[in-house]
Formats: sequence, C-alpha cells, structure tokens
Amino acid sequence: MLPFLLGVVPFGLVFGVLGISSGLTETETILMSSIVFAGASQVVFAQLWAAGSAYFVIGSSVALINLRHVLYSASVAEYLKKLSFKWRIILGYLLTDETFAVSIKRLSAHGESKPVHFFMLGSGLTLWLAWQISTIVGVIAGSIIPENWELAFAIPLTFIAVVVPMLKNAPTIICALTSGLIAVFGQSLPWKTWIIVAALGGILIGALIEKWTSSK
Amino acid sequence: MIWLVMILTGLINFIFRISMFSGFRNIHLPPSFHRYVSYVPSSVLSAIIASSLVTYNGHEFSYDVEKLAAAFIAVACALITKSVSATLIVGLITLWLV
Repeated sequence: MLPFLLGVVPFGLVFGVLGISSGLTETETILMSSIVFAGASQVVFAQLWAAGSAYFVIGSSVALINLRHVLYSASVAEYLKKLSFKWRIILGYLLTDETFAVSIKRLSAHGESKPVHFFMLGSGLTLWLAWQISTIVGVIAGSIIPENWELAFAIPLTFIAVVVPMLKNAPTIICALTSGLIAVFGQSLPWKTWIIVAALGGILIGALIEKWTSSK
Repeated sequence: MIWLVMILTGLINFIFRISMFSGFRNIHLPPSFHRYVSYVPSSVLSAIIASSLVTYNGHEFSYDVEKLAAAFIAVACALITKSVSATLIVGLITLWLV
C-alpha cells in the first residue's frame, strides 16, 4: 500500500502548485482533484488551460490520456458485474492506475476466493484521500512559494520520471521521439492542437512498428 | 466556463472507468485497441516534456540551457532510481544550481 502512495503524493503536490501558477483559483484546483480525479491528465488540463488552448483540445487531450481506464475497466469487469449499481458507480469512480495494479495483483494471487471489491474500495479510498490532501498541500505551497523557484518545471520533471522507465523497447522509444519532435516543431499549429497531433503521431508510429516487427 | 470543461472531462473519465462494468451494454474492444492504448502515456508525456524544453516557431528555436541540463540529469536519475520524488528533487536542485 505504501509504495503506491509514494508515487501519488509528489504528483498531487505538483498539481496543486501548478494549478495556482496556471491561474486557476484555489477552489478550482482543489475540486478538480475530485471531479477529474486523474493525475497526469489534470496536470495537462491546467497547463493547456493556462496556455489558452481551445476547449476541444483540452477535452480530447484529457480523454486520450485516460483512455487506458477502459482497459482496466475491461480487466476487472468480470469480478464486478454482479455487484449492485451503487457499488459499480463507486468503484468506477475510484478506478485508477494504482488501484487497478494492486487489485489485479491480488486477484492473480488469491483468485476470487476473497472478494476483490472491498479491497478495491479500500485501496481506492486511500488513494483518493492521499490525492486530495496532497493537492490541498500543493495549493497552499503554491500560494506561498515565490515564482523564481520555477516550480512549473516540476511538470516535465515528474513526467520524465514516469516516461523514462517505460522506454524499454524500440517501438516505445520511437513513439516518444516522434511525439517529442512533433511537439517541438508543431508549436505554431492553430488552437494548440500540437498536443493532439504529437500524441496521435507517436501512438500510431509505436503501434505500427510493434505490429510490423511482431508479424515478421 | 472552466467548470463546464472540468465537469465534462470528469464525466468522460467516469464513463471510461465504468464502461466495461456499467451493466448497460456489453462492449467488445477490438483486439488492436490494447496495442494503441499502450502507447498513449509515453506519447502524450513525451510531447509535454519536449515542448517544455525546446520550441520552434518557424524561424528559430527557443530553449533554456539550465532546463536542458536539469532534464538531462533528471533522465539519468529516473534511469537509476525509478523514483518520482528523487527525480523531481534532483531535477529541481540542478535547475537552481546551474
């Protein structure tokens, strides 16, 4: 339980600080952590909002980043389908990378001999609480810390920490390079659509290379 | 306006999360869906990292040597420690010192 919070708390702090420096109010920043409740995409939301991006760019970027939740949803579906609607709504809301990871680990260790939904609820609520508290602490810190500390740079640094361990094979590395290059050269695209173009370009290249290399 | 965008994106998130066990409909994912989705995080995050380090406006590049140095050290730190906190702290300290 503890190691998974270690990844969440710095992220929450960074988001809280960034929310304020992006020009969101304290209320907007804090409530975004419960309304959107998805780490990286909230950071992207705040960044794009501060840059004055078009609403559809913000919405589709956040949706794209969170598309992976559909996969998590599919993996746990057979264990949750029998639950009441109320349970499914709560567990749906609480489904995150971390909760999914620990629940799947537990399912593969114990199977269904121990019901997984209580476990998901417990880990989900713990994570939710940690996310809210770290956001609030970040918001408080964000309004105290002077601007010349350049804390906005915490975003790329946090993302570097997340991405670098993922770069383990050629398709992923080429995907990251492609997307990075499009992002650098696509800055003058209208409505800040560079983020979507870069993301889709990287995804397409990575998936196609994986397909070609695996079919040989 | 921000509230509307926030609530809509929150709703989309919720629909994604509950999609496969909502009980309303049985959805079948195409087999290639998994392959595409697995590249989303590395692609989106790399775009943000790259654009915060270097941008090109059609005539010239703009970048900060301090930030490039900090990012370089952060990559090394992420490779070695795989820790978000360590990478964040080491990267920021590098930025302040350089």
